[in-house]
Amino acid sequence: MSWRLFRRTWRAQRTKLLAVAVGLAIWGALMPIVYEAFREEIQFIVGSGLIPEQLTRFGGGDIFSLSGTVALGFIHPIAVALVLVFALGFAVASVAGERQRGTLEVLLARPLSRRRIYLTLLGATVLFVALAIAAQVVGTFVGSSLSGDVGELQPDRLALMWLNGVLVFAAFGSVALAASVSFDRLTPALALSLTFVLVSYFLQIIGSLWPAAGFLQPYSLFHYLDPKGALSGTMTIGDWLVPIGVFFAGLVVALVVFPRRDLAAPA
Amino acid sequence: MDAPSVVVPHPHLDGAADPRCSLTAVHALRTESLTKRYGRPRLGPLPPGPEVAALTDLSIHVNVGEIFGFLGPNGAGKSTMIRLLLGFLHPTAGRAEVLGLDSERASVQIRSRVGYLPGGIALYDGLTGSDLLDYLGQLYDRAPVRRAELTDRLELSERTLHRLVRDYSRGMRQKIGIVQALQHDPELAILDEPTEGLDPLMQRAFYDILDDLRAAGRTIFLSSHILSEVERVCDRVAIVRAGRLVALEDVGALLARRRRHVELRLPGRLPDLSRVPGVSGISAHDGLLTCQLEGDVGPFLGAIAGLPVADLTIEPAHLEEAFLEFYEGDDIDGNGTGHQSVVAGQRPGPP
Repeated sequence: MSWRLFRRTWRAQRTKLLAVAVGLAIWGALMPIVYEAFREEIQFIVGSGLIPEQLTRFGGGDIFSLSGTVALGFIHPIAVALVLVFALGFAVASVAGERQRGTLEVLLARPLSRRRIYLTLLGATVLFVALAIAAQVVGTFVGSSLSGDVGELQPDRLALMWLNGVLVFAAFGSVALAASVSFDRLTPALALSLTFVLVSYFLQIIGSLWPAAGFLQPYSLFHYLDPKGALSGTMTIGDWLVPIGVFFAGLVVALVVFPRRDLAAPA
Repeated sequence: MDAPSVVVPHPHLDGAADPRCSLTAVHALRTESLTKRYGRPRLGPLPPGPEVAALTDLSIHVNVGEIFGFLGPNGAGKSTMIRLLLGFLHPTAGRAEVLGLDSERASVQIRSRVGYLPGGIALYDGLTGSDLLDYLGQLYDRAPVRRAELTDRLELSERTLHRLVRDYSRGMRQKIGIVQALQHDPELAILDEPTEGLDPLMQRAFYDILDDLRAAGRTIFLSSHILSEVERVCDRVAIVRAGRLVALEDVGALLARRRRHVELRLPGRLPDLSRVPGVSGISAHDGLLTCQLEGDVGPFLGAIAGLPVADLTIEPAHLEEAFLEFYEGDDIDGNGTGHQSVVAGQRPGPP
């Protein structure tokens, strides 16, 4: 790690991080409030059969319990998109973007090894993801307090939910950063990373909406994002091992590829 | 310029040369048969992609305390050479040593002792000039001891330095690039097209800075296609053509070998200079004799001594001619535009 590079990265990203954290905190707070305010109406609508039951279990969450509602908030496209600002956007742009702009040239001229630069950026990605998800968890806690349901949430399980979220999105970040150090231009790195995220999301959602496609879910990294399991104490070992495995796979690829790559003059 | 017999001490030299390298103390930089080819290697059943030789079998050395010009048109391999020295590229064959360290194995140590100005430098637009210099300086272990002097000489005021880089002109960006490369007083400065975008006054200030660095025993590796600049500041020059070294000479010797253009105006009968050593291409018309003169001017002056000379012009040789001679009949920039990439028209200020 280079602390000076890390500090500069932090300073460059902190405003964006603040905006994302505030957004996620608000989103996290809204879910318990909405659950408490409209729980009976929603259950009535669902009971009437107007909404197919599968839709109420979108992405592994549900609207019949606080933990299910919180889980729904975590897998909702809004929350996913906000966390991906760092897990995908920052990670992809941090090397390939700088390389495309030509600024990586100036950084590489300093006495920093490519491994050190990579590890610093990976550390920054994990930290940003961790803080963003922490904001959502805090928002969830505050929202539950406001709605009077905080008794249903155990702090240690909230911490597990946070850790699970961090691991899954850090794994996405690791894949995105591996793509970033492998290309000279932003577009292919972004395309590769985004494809990985979208395919993962599609497999998870299609499997949750269509039982016949349920066998596809284990192939999705989002399948291992299990806030409901964390809050209800039903997480599996796979929820931990798979994201950790993907994270380290990305790390190994990047550590092998980046130092060995030829970095020709920017076009 | 010959290699100095005494190495100029440097305050940061720790003598920790790579024991695996055979570099002598007078060499700041040396390459041995350095070769770089680009191309996609064989991937499984796929055939390998076409190979492009960017640099072929290049062997040069740069002495401590000299300003070394690395000259060639666009695409000749100048940037490839620099990137190999800094460890951005890995050589296909051969090796390079910088400050006694292997460029492959010790690139981080090399970069801690080298200042680098990339060609067409890109900077972080969201920072002020001052913050950018602070940040880039902090990534070294050395203090930016020359920063104040450099910003002063390049006329970068405090007010300018507190503006965002995105608001800078090209010349101001280049000045910042020069400061970031030299502010930590590196033992070796690698400068790629350093005067690009600088106005003539700033070019002159920059040449003065180079002169001072040389006087202080620092080494400068200067890549350029501005011939007059190389002629003005460099002790020795290497000329590359399509990735191959075509000349490696003392600038003075190169110029001395060049033919000077002579115009001699005389009343009456013109003398026969055909047997004077070094004189060639004689043409006489209406009392005006023109010829080319190579090497020592003594025999020529002796031959015209005593003649009623009305006017005599001996135009000094320029590196431009030497350079173009190496590329004669060649499509320099490889796109059918002949010599257009060689900037010979720019003249630096007087020494």
